[in-house]
Order: sequence, then structure tokens, then C-alpha cells
Amino acid sequence: MTDLQFEDVSITYRSSSTRGDVVAVENVSLDLPAGATLGIAGESGSGKSTLIMSALRLLPKSARLDGRVLLGGQDVRELSFGQIRAVRWAQASIVFQGALHSLNPVREVGQQIIEALEHHSKGTWTTPQKRQDRMFELLAEVNLEAAKSSAYPHELSGGQKQRIMIAMALACEPDIIIADEPTTALDVIVQKQILTGLARLVAERGISLLMISHDLAVLSAVCADLAIMRDGRLVEFGPSDEVCLAPREDYTKQLAGAFPQIGDPESRLRPKTQRPAEVARAEPFTMTDEVVLEAKDLSVSFDTRRGRERAVRGVDLVLRKAEILAVVGQSGSGKTTLARSLLGLQEVEEGSQRSFAGKPLPRKAKALRTFRRQVQMILQDPAGSLNPKRSVYEAVVEGLRVQGIRDREYERVVGALEAAELTPAEDYLESIPQELSGGQRQRVVIAGALALDPQVLIADEPVASLDASVRGEILSLFLALKKNLGMSALIITHDLGLAWNIADTVAVMKSGEIVEYGEVDRVLSDPQHEYTQELLAAVPRLGSQSLVRNE
Amino acid sequence: MSTPTHDPHPEDRRTPGTGSANPGTDPADPTSPGSDPAGQGPASARDSADAPGAVDADEPPAGGSFARYFLRKLGGAATSMILVIVLGFFAFRMLPGDPVLKIAKERPMSPAQIAELRSQYGLDKPVIVQFWDYLVGIVTGDLGESYVYRKSVSALIGEYLGPTLLLTGTAAVIAIVLGLWLGQISAWRRNSLFDKLASSTSLIFWSVPTFWLGLILLMIFGGTLQWLPTGGMITPGLDPWSFAGIIDVITHLILPVVSLVAVVYAQFLMIMRASLLEEMNEDYLTTARAKGLTEDEVRRKHAVPNALLPTVTVVFLHIGGLIAGAVTVEAVFSWPGLGKLTFEAIRGPDLPLLQGTFVVFSAIIIVMNLAADIVYRFLDPRVRRA
Amino acid sequence: MSADTPAEAGPGSPSNGPGPRGSGPRGAAPRGANPAVDGAKLVRERRLNNAKKNWALFRSDVPALIGAVVLLFFVVIAVAAPLIAPATMLDVTKQLDVPRYAPPSLDHPLGTDDLGREMWVRILWGARVSILVGVAATVMSMVIGTIMGLAAGHFTGLFGGIIMRLIDFFIVLPSLLLAIVLSSVLERGVFTIVVAIGLTSWASTARIVRSQTLSVESRLYIERARILGAGHRHILFRHLLPAVMPLVLANTTLTVGGAIIAESTLSFLGLGDTSKESWGTILKNSMDVSAATSGYWWYVLTPGIAILLVVLAFTMVGRAFEAIINPALRSR
Repeated sequence: MTDLQFEDVSITYRSSSTRGDVVAVENVSLDLPAGATLGIAGESGSGKSTLIMSALRLLPKSARLDGRVLLGGQDVRELSFGQIRAVRWAQASIVFQGALHSLNPVREVGQQIIEALEHHSKGTWTTPQKRQDRMFELLAEVNLEAAKSSAYPHELSGGQKQRIMIAMALACEPDIIIADEPTTALDVIVQKQILTGLARLVAERGISLLMISHDLAVLSAVCADLAIMRDGRLVEFGPSDEVCLAPREDYTKQLAGAFPQIGDPESRLRPKTQRPAEVARAEPFTMTDEVVLEAKDLSVSFDTRRGRERAVRGVDLVLRKAEILAVVGQSGSGKTTLARSLLGLQEVEEGSQRSFAGKPLPRKAKALRTFRRQVQMILQDPAGSLNPKRSVYEAVVEGLRVQGIRDREYERVVGALEAAELTPAEDYLESIPQELSGGQRQRVVIAGALALDPQVLIADEPVASLDASVRGEILSLFLALKKNLGMSALIITHDLGLAWNIADTVAVMKSGEIVEYGEVDRVLSDPQHEYTQELLAAVPRLGSQSLVRNE
Repeated sequence: MSTPTHDPHPEDRRTPGTGSANPGTDPADPTSPGSDPAGQGPASARDSADAPGAVDADEPPAGGSFARYFLRKLGGAATSMILVIVLGFFAFRMLPGDPVLKIAKERPMSPAQIAELRSQYGLDKPVIVQFWDYLVGIVTGDLGESYVYRKSVSALIGEYLGPTLLLTGTAAVIAIVLGLWLGQISAWRRNSLFDKLASSTSLIFWSVPTFWLGLILLMIFGGTLQWLPTGGMITPGLDPWSFAGIIDVITHLILPVVSLVAVVYAQFLMIMRASLLEEMNEDYLTTARAKGLTEDEVRRKHAVPNALLPTVTVVFLHIGGLIAGAVTVEAVFSWPGLGKLTFEAIRGPDLPLLQGTFVVFSAIIIVMNLAADIVYRFLDPRVRRA
Repeated sequence: MSADTPAEAGPGSPSNGPGPRGSGPRGAAPRGANPAVDGAKLVRERRLNNAKKNWALFRSDVPALIGAVVLLFFVVIAVAAPLIAPATMLDVTKQLDVPRYAPPSLDHPLGTDDLGREMWVRILWGARVSILVGVAATVMSMVIGTIMGLAAGHFTGLFGGIIMRLIDFFIVLPSLLLAIVLSSVLERGVFTIVVAIGLTSWASTARIVRSQTLSVESRLYIERARILGAGHRHILFRHLLPAVMPLVLANTTLTVGGAIIAESTLSFLGLGDTSKESWGTILKNSMDVSAATSGYWWYVLTPGIAILLVVLAFTMVGRAFEAIINPALRSR
């Protein structure tokens, strides 16, 4: 078996730009003994991907490596190109993010697996027939039909592509598998299938696993040891239970806070953050009985190339004043379509009723515009929601200008920014989005909505694209807006933990229908519907290698 | 928008690529397979045959049929053809005001001749009737009579079509092979001496008019060195199907083909180079390298097949340009093809003949593009089955 | 669901219920001083810095600098042509004592043509028409292309579909063919050439603009503008047009070259204004007297080299603009 050791590794990208050289990894030492499982957690820019690419010498030419990377005791830098090619995939293989572009889009996936076998026949897969048999064997291992071997990547779902990647990584019986964010962009249920499958295959063969992810829970569910990286440095290292449940460093605590234990009263309506939003009202608003936004028998259909499809089917929803309602569902469950139709951005079917403050939603363009002053929506990705050429002031003022609100423009903008806790607001007015962090951008987007004084905020995955450490801040801002302003919010999310953190009520959506709807405490502690139970079970828990041991 | 990747611009390519590579991650997109409510449609039904415990909730649906794709493309081509026909009528019958007077202005004619021409064109009839006659004429292959040649336009075109196809076909094949081959080497070794030479040469070729290049070649190899014939397709009196005749045609072919190729291959080179460069940062190349492939294999087996796709569409579009380029090149080298005929018609001015060559040229180009769309479907699995 | 009575007593609508920390924007009202002046200054500084950065990028691109110098040279000689070489030098009747077909020499720097006119004078005057037509036709095609591309990318449904088809049609048919048709049926003249080229060459611009519009249209900030209540006008003029403009400008520079070549081709085919000098007309004259096969190489070479230089210069400058706009192209 082969060990992988990083000895005091530093990696620098040489850059011709004015910024000079960029240090991506700094003095990292990590050991992956044969048969071990190690997870490296870190946010974007932490250098974790750069580090693992150095194991197979796959870094671009502009990268300089100091220190030593030892694969089976051999420094990979000392190998000739022929030798490193022989090592690649045969000794150590990589599971890339299959959901993205890691498979060649114009070649059949079976052929792509066979290609690896052709290069590393190891005396076993010497004939095309043997290689083909091996390929089918691998597909069976990852629970894919043999027929899928002739599929092209675009014909497979994200989960299936990820399984192809795993099959490909296992193909040449490597000693080490390196997994690079193997479940990013997958739904929790699919994620669970992939992770348990990967963990089982690795354990059965005694392969050592090095997995990187931004998701602490995913790593701790599979790996025995955990390393936390930040800005290229190793922050914390230890057994995964210890790192997750009793973190020593503040940064680790922040990361771990992003994964509330559902059912844990300590995190109920209290998202963990170092910087909670201020609740200034002596008597904060709480949920009332006054209905603000209501949908009855709401259905939405699309014409697609495969005929008409119903994305939302007969949904009944009620949003009361100062209520936070979380609509939870997997991608494709129709939850975003539901939100868009509540805002009048989406045509609905005959017979659907939508009403705001007791009156049906207007249909004419002008009346709809006035209506949107009352109901605002925050989109998924704050980076994309802001025009890169417009300053913060221009972004916040856009709604006012569109709505024809001309008086006290400046005060309104500053007030909205302060309500979104981007203070002091004046310092940010002329910044452009690229100069802000993800959390700050999301605050600008929220301020843009608040400037119109809306009664309802609809938020589509408001924290999904943010780093875990910022998540708590933004969630606590939503809670504060409700408490300070009595604002109602409908939050669309795939994350049950989010509902546990801030919502009063939760609606679980599946295939366009609401399967379970009620108060958060009741639904999440005592789920009635099978699907809710399945979702809850699939949420990775912090620590204890839950996915490996529960099997 | 509509079909994945018909838009030839390389930058566009990514849109369908990411769309299909990421099913189900964009719930806002109504056409995304992700909004397919699971449990509906044949895809999910088939999926239940999967191993227990591994049912994919996000199984993407199967793709559309070839017939539908073909019909849609055929419809597009038909629309274009109708536009050409309408434009032909509008441009030649309506824009010049009175086409006969226009001819009369450039050549001396008696009033009787004018009246005769007028009734010959049917100009004394109402516009609608003229348009109907024109339509009937096109359908029956009657494109009117040439004023200069005093022959039926269809007969003239039939006579001159062959040489044009020979010239442009040869030029197209050479330009494609040369452009794509040099383009991929250029991209793979970007910033090398080879790349710099190839790129700057093609920029220079791109910056000159085709006919001027023809004139220069004519001057050097036909005029000064006298190595090659200066005009025509074959030395008079030779039998084109004899061995000597074929060799003779080839020597006549060299100069016009080289001038056409020089300008067009440069465009192909740039397109191939750009789309390969675009592919070079893709993740699947890292996967291929991690599998232990050599750089050469990575290029040949992974990068080039992907880069070819956007290139193919653009290449076919530029074939239209090549055919248009034939007008001046045939004029320079007196090549007896449709281009020369167009040139003569312009000098005439012989509007019926010009109208005929315009309609025929357009038809050739539209058919070529239809063919390109069909070929493309077989090359790109994403279009084939998506 | 649990209802809290104290909250019910709260304001029915937030617009009349200022909380202690102010209900959103309103609470900040006392902030009287208007430091927006500072903001304007910051914006100006940002623009200035951007301009400086872009200029530095452009300056580091040697071919583009050479191109700019070449362009400047040709524009100056075109504008100053009547001063450098009076129009009488083109009058055939005044050139009777000048030798015909004189090869380049000290007396006749670029040689003379079949009527004894100096080639350098013809090139000088030809620059006027060639560059004017190139620029004017390009402007026309840019305006059409931008409008069509924006419309095709922004509007969906029947209207967008029709425009898409129209763009497809003009992409498939080579613009030269259409320009030949147009210029042969319209009155001869410089304006006709401009219209013929401008009306037929906009499709590639429209395609680029459309693809950029589509990619911008899919950005969330467009959706956000809709949520804020924006209509077509706001989205088209505040977001889409500013986003495609840099691309259009870079494309303009690249297209001028193509338009100059198209002008020369049309003139060469005899569709130009025969009463005015242009580089294409000179080449047509040279063809009429079979200069290429008769050894009058200067007659063929000089106008072509002028075209090559100007087109190459426009291309170099255009590529530099493109690289400034799209940093991803810089490595190429």
C-alpha cells in the first residue's frame, strides 16, 4: 500500500499581474497513511484544491512547489514524466466534481473508463474484452446499469455522473482515492447515496481516501480525521469528532455552526454567528394571525420540448405578518417556480388564486409594478444579483427609481443599507460589487429590497452560495428584520437546518406538491410524511462518521 | 434559446453545454430537466429498473427525435429560401423603379425596343400578377431570358454551374483541412514561433481582398514567370476527359484555388485556434491528464474532438463567403463559372441574369447549411440526443 | 399557529410604524448633510483609473500601437489630400506630358497609370472614399446589428423569433452577394455603396450582441430589476445596452476592415462610383488594362498594399480593444 505525505508544502502561483505572486498553500504538513480517511475542509480560496492537485503533479506550469510531496515515500517532483504518468490513476486516482465538466462531453462514459484501463492494464486488463468486462463490473459496483456505458455525460444526472467518476477512479485498483468536492451541486438524498457508496467501496478495498469539501458535515460523515484549511494554512487537525464537536479554533467553530443539529433547542431560532444582527425593539415582533400573502390551489405549467409539464400542483400557502416560512425541497421540486409565481413573475394556471392583503394579485403591468413595492424577492446568488458595473448606491437606488420614488433618495438608500447592517453605510456607497465580500453583497441586495419598504421578503436560497462562516450572519439578519420591522419572509431552501435556525413554519415540497406543512418544531421533530423523514435522514450530521457507521 | 449549439459563435457554445451538463441544478429554468416532476414521464419509469437503493430521483429524460430536428432545420432553410425569392423579386423588379429604363440609360435603345423589352418582362402587368408569374417561373425553372446572351437564364446557369462547383469545392476541401490542422497546432503551442508565424500570416491574408491576391498571383506566376495559364479552365481544343485534358484543367485550377484558399483558410485557422484555446482550460482535460495520458493523447482524443464542434458550424457558414469570393476570382482568372457569369451580368447590366445567379447562389448556400446542420447532429451527441 | 397579541397591536402596515431603530430607510432621515458630492468624486476617480489602466494595457500592445499610428497617418493624408495634391493632378487632360505606365522612380515615386496620373495622388485621394465608406458603412451596420441583436436576445415569443430568423437569414447569405445585388439595382454612387454594405453586413454584429445579451439576460441582476418592478425600457437601456456597448465598439473597429475590403470588391466589380477615386476603382482600372499580365506591377501592388495596411491596422487596434474588454482573450 502507498502512503501520501505532504511535508511542509507551500505552493505559489507566479503571476505577471501587478498583484505579484499569489501564495495558495503555505507550510502545510499532512499525512495520509495507507487505509486512512482524511477530510480537508475549507472555504473557497483556502488552497485545498491546489494542495491535492500537487499530489499527482497536476498543477499548472505557473505554480511553484516548495517542500515535499511523497507518494509511497517517493518525492513526486523527482519522477520523470513517464514515471508520473504511470503513477497517475494506477496508484492514486481522483474523483472530480462529476456534476461539472470533468467528463468529456462528446465521448461515451464507458469509453472514458476503458481509456484509463488501457493506460494502466497492470497485466490484468490486457485485451479489449477484459477491459470491457472490467468496465461493466465497475458500473455494477456503483449501481449503474450496463446500458449507461454507452451514454454521453449530458444524458446522465448529476448523481449518475458522479458515480461514473467513482467507477473510473476505482478502475485501476489504486491505493489512494482523492475526492474533490464529490457531492457539491447534488441533492441531499443523492448526496447520501454517493457518500455511502464511496465510503463502502473504499472501506471494502482498504483504499485510503483523501476528500476535500467546503462542507464540514459531509467530511465528518465519511472521514476519520479532519483538517481545516484557511487562506492556504492548516488551522486545525484532529479526529473528526473532536474537530466538529469540540473545535478549538474560532474559525472551526464558525464553520461547525453552519450545521445546526436539527432538534437541538440551542440552535432553534438562534443561528450561530460571531456577529449577530441587532434587535433594537424592546418588544420584538412575533408571528401574528394577520394574513399577508396567500395562495390557493396554485398550479404552474411549462411548455417544454417534451410537452407540458406541471412544476407546481395545487399548492395552498399562507404567509402571515411577521412570519418566517421556509419552503424546503430538492432541486426540481418547483419551489423557485412557486416563489416566482407568488411575485407575479410567472403565469399561473386557470383556477389558481393568489392574493396579497386580501386582494387578488393585479394582472396589469402597471399595477403589478406597484404591487412589487410590497413584496420583494432576494435571489440565490448575490454576486450575480448585482450589476458589476454599478456601485452600491446605484444598486440600492434602482428600485426607487424604477418605482418612481424621487423624494429623500439619499436617506432612503443609507437607511436601507443600515437596516441591512452594512455599516457605516457611507463607506460602502461607491464600492462596486467586486470590492465586497459575499456576505456584504448579500446585504446590498437585501438593502435594495428594503429600500422599497416591502411587507414581504421572498428569499431564494439566501445563503446557499455564501461561505459557511457568513451564513449565520445573514440568517440572523432575517430574524432581526422580522423582529424589528415586523416583516414577513418566505424562504426557499434545500437546507432543513436553515428552517430549524430561523423559520416559524415550514412547508416541505416534492414534485410540485406540498407534502407536509406546519410549525417547524412539530414538522422537524415529528415528521409525518415519508419524504420528510427521508430528507431528515439524509442530512449529514456533524461528526461520528455517521454515513459510514450507520450502514 | 432554441437548439443547443446551432449558434456558430464559439462563445455561445458554453450556454447549452452547462445547461445539459447540470440537469436539475437550476430550478428557475422551466426547460431544465430538473423541473421534470419525478415520477412523470418515461424516464423515471425506466429508472425503476435500476438497482434497489440507487433510484435516481434526478434521472434526466431522453432526447428528441431526428425527424423533429430535421423538420425544424428544413423549415428554417425553407423560410430562408422564401426570403431569397421574395428579395429577388423586390430587389430586381421594385427597387430599380423601371428596370428597362435603367438598362436603356446605360445602352442606347429605340422606343420600340424599350416597349418590346417591357412586355417581355411583363412590366405592363400589375405587380401582383408580375410576382405570380415570377413565382411560377422559379418553380418551373424558368428564370427569364438574359439580355446580353440572348439565351434562357436557366440554360446559362446550367452550363456554368459545373466549373464553379469544381473550383469552390476544391478550394473548400483544401482550406478546411489546412485551416483546421494548422489551427490546432497553433492553439496547442500557443505563443510559440509556429503559432506567431501562423497567426500573423493568417491575419495578413485576412486583411486583403480575395481578388487582389488573385491579381498578384496572376502577375507573378502567370505574367512574370509564365509557369501557369492566366485564364480559362482548359486550353481550347483539348478533350477534358483525356489524361492531358485533366492535367490541363488542374494547371488552370491552381491559381484560382490558391487565391480562394489563402483568404478562407486563415479564417478557419483563427476559428479552430480560438475554440481549441477555449477548450484548453476545461476540467475534463485535467481528468484525462490525471488518468496518465500523454499531452499528445490529451489533445488528439479529448481537446480536439470538442473544439471541432463549434468550428464545424462556423466553417460551413464561411463556405457561403467562399462562394461569394468566387465571383471576383472567376472574374480575375476568366474561369467560366457562375461568378464570371455574375460579373458579366453586372457589366451588362443584365438584370434577369443577375437575378438568376443570385437565386441559384443563395440556394446552393442554403442547401450547404442545411447539410451542415445535419452533419452537426451526428458529430455532437448533445444535439443528437438532447 | 401561535399568535402573539402584543405584535398584533403593532402597526398594520410598516409604512406607518417607525420602530425604534427606524423602519428601514426612514429612521435615517436626520442624516442631513449630503456627502453625495464625495460620491461623484469617487466615481470620477474610478473612471479615470479605469481609463488609465486601459491605456496602459493598450500601450503595452505593440502591434496595436503601430496600427494606431498607421491609421493616424492614413486619416491625415486623406483629410489633407486636396492640400498635398490638388485635384487637378487627377485631371487626365492635364497629364498629357506625363509618361504613361512609368515605373516607380524618383520623378514618379509610385509610378503612373495608363492615363499618366501619378499613383501616389490616386492613392491619396482614394483613401478619402475608401476610409469614409468603410467607417460610414460600419456605423450603419453597427446600429442595425446592435438593435437587432438586443431585440433578438431580450424579447421572447413571436417578435423575438421573427428577428432571430431574420438574423439567421443574413448570416447564412454572404453579405457580398447581397451587396452586389443592392448596389447593382440602385443608383451608382458612394452613398449606395455605404447602404449596400451597411444593410448587408450587420448580421455578425447582431449575432455577437445577441449572444452577449442572452448571457447578460440570464444574470440574476436582470431578474432582480424585474422584481424591483422594471419594464423593458429600463432593462434594455440601463442594463443590456451598457453591457453590450464595449463589445460593439471593439467589433466596430474590427468591422471597418471588412467594410473597406467590401468597398474595394464592389468597386472592382464596377459597382462603385466611377467618378470618384477609391482603392477598389484603381484596382478595377488596372484589371481593365490587364496590368497584372502586362508587367505594370506597381499599378496592382500599391492600392492593394494600401488596403492591406489600413485593414491590418484596424484589425490590430480592434483586437487590442477586444483584449481590454475581455481579459480572457489576453493570453491569445
